[in-house]
Amino acid sequence: MAVHPVYRSATVLEVKRVGQEYVDLLLREPEISRTAGPGQFLMIRAWTGVDPMLPRPFDIMQCSPREQTLRLFVKVEGRGTALLKSLEPGSVVNVTGPLGQPVKNFAFSSVAFLVRGAGAAAVVHLAEACSSRGIKVYSILSASTASRIVCRDYLEPPSAELLIATDDGSEGYRGLATELLDQLLGRDSIDRVYTCGSRRFARHVQRLDREGRSAGFVFLEGLMACGLGDCHGCAVRKKEGSGYFLVCRDGPHFPVGEVEL
Amino acid sequence: MIDLSVEIAGVTLPNPVLPASGTYEVAEVHEGFFSPADLGAVINKTIFLNPRPGNPPPRIWETPCGMLNAIGIPSEGLQKFLEEQLPRLRSLGPPVIVSIAGNSLQEWRDLAKAIDESGSADMIELDLSCPNLEHGFIWAAERQPLSEAVAAVVEATSLPVISKLSPNVRDISEMAVVAEAAGAAAVSMVNAYVGMAIDVETRRPALGNITGGLTGPAIRPLAVYSVFAAFQKIRVPIIGIGGIATWRDAVEFLLAGASAVAVGTQNFVNPMTMKEVIQGIAGYVEEGGFSSVRELIGLAHATHGG
Repeated sequence: MAVHPVYRSATVLEVKRVGQEYVDLLLREPEISRTAGPGQFLMIRAWTGVDPMLPRPFDIMQCSPREQTLRLFVKVEGRGTALLKSLEPGSVVNVTGPLGQPVKNFAFSSVAFLVRGAGAAAVVHLAEACSSRGIKVYSILSASTASRIVCRDYLEPPSAELLIATDDGSEGYRGLATELLDQLLGRDSIDRVYTCGSRRFARHVQRLDREGRSAGFVFLEGLMACGLGDCHGCAVRKKEGSGYFLVCRDGPHFPVGEVEL
Repeated sequence: MIDLSVEIAGVTLPNPVLPASGTYEVAEVHEGFFSPADLGAVINKTIFLNPRPGNPPPRIWETPCGMLNAIGIPSEGLQKFLEEQLPRLRSLGPPVIVSIAGNSLQEWRDLAKAIDESGSADMIELDLSCPNLEHGFIWAAERQPLSEAVAAVVEATSLPVISKLSPNVRDISEMAVVAEAAGAAAVSMVNAYVGMAIDVETRRPALGNITGGLTGPAIRPLAVYSVFAAFQKIRVPIIGIGGIATWRDAVEFLLAGASAVAVGTQNFVNPMTMKEVIQGIAGYVEEGGFSSVRELIGLAHATHGG
């Protein structure tokens, strides 16, 4: 049976401010935590007035049906995310979810996640789902500097191997994370690569996909008002033909060869 | 049982709340929220004769108490609409309003005829006022094109015709008079106000289309005034639209003279809004001791100035 998104109140259980730029939020919501699949997202509104007005989309980083919890990892960038950062445990927020397409096909035996900054949050749930099915998980976290390497503690448990690259060399490999991926692909066969958080990474994965070295997928973001396919805001151009996909309805993850990056 | 029914051009709506075109698609994704059978009417995202991809992104931009959009009405075209969407809308129960837009008088006629012949529509709404189309032409911005388009459709169909009016004019109430004179059986007002935003980080217009339509609570007082002013000049019913976020806002439009209200942008914010608005109006009617919601329509005029 298809899972339909619901609109619910969720209680904030935990607010962990990670440096100045990030906030790690744990919410209690029994229904969405039970129905959310890997790769899905939710819309959250932590305000009741009309300014700001629109709910904000975030990937569901983790969900636990047993604990009835959902975990989000948010980069603080604007007014909405600043309000999320200022939440306190016990606050109540509105959430709509689960939204987007869950990953359903696990007919592969190895996968690499190539992520930049908070883009890591998009793939944690999927990495866990892969790992629990016996799929070998490689994770490559990349950022400008060590303080922006985030979600490592969440990606480590499902990963057989986790590599870090920073632009300034303050942690892990100094240089391009795509080089780490290329080295992995030279050593092991990796069936799929998922990437998030960097257009440059997505283009690289698109190239690997085109050359038949690994099937590539990309998590995309888009300015969206509803998350439901109604507002048509989050359009991303199709590679073939003249039309658009909607990130919320058709994604948020796409075969990397099907979208214009 | 509280009587919430209203009449628009001879069609009885079980309650006065419907979605604004293009903000609520009857689709499986909504099934966990509320049943579309509970709505006063259902309406499609405006269809054109031929398929259209819509505008390049970015397509939306949040603004104080509102948002700008420049979606550009992506559409699968008439044929696919008749085959797939319209039968689904018809099967739901509430009256079906089909929103159409033509690029020429002939297209307006052809669309109206096709909708009429489908036998699945109760009313036709003319989207004469989308501010985001590539040719930049707003039919409802000038008297003559508005009058000609409405007259062309009225001649091509026996269904009641709703003219959706643009606020991007000097006096929208005068345009309501024009639409009525051309044969419109109702008007809906208001569509979006043309506006723009500039991203100070990129130093470029925020929207791919440069300009967009402003909607949301930011425009509500402007829309309420438009309905209030039109109510004094026309006899055909008004569907009030513009920044309705709660039942109180909906009641404001009814008191200003709207016979029904359409919820737009707020459907994006809270997908339960229309259900909550229907329940809120029912509570207001009951607590106010009214025998029917129809008693509210235009009530602000009766008390205006004593």
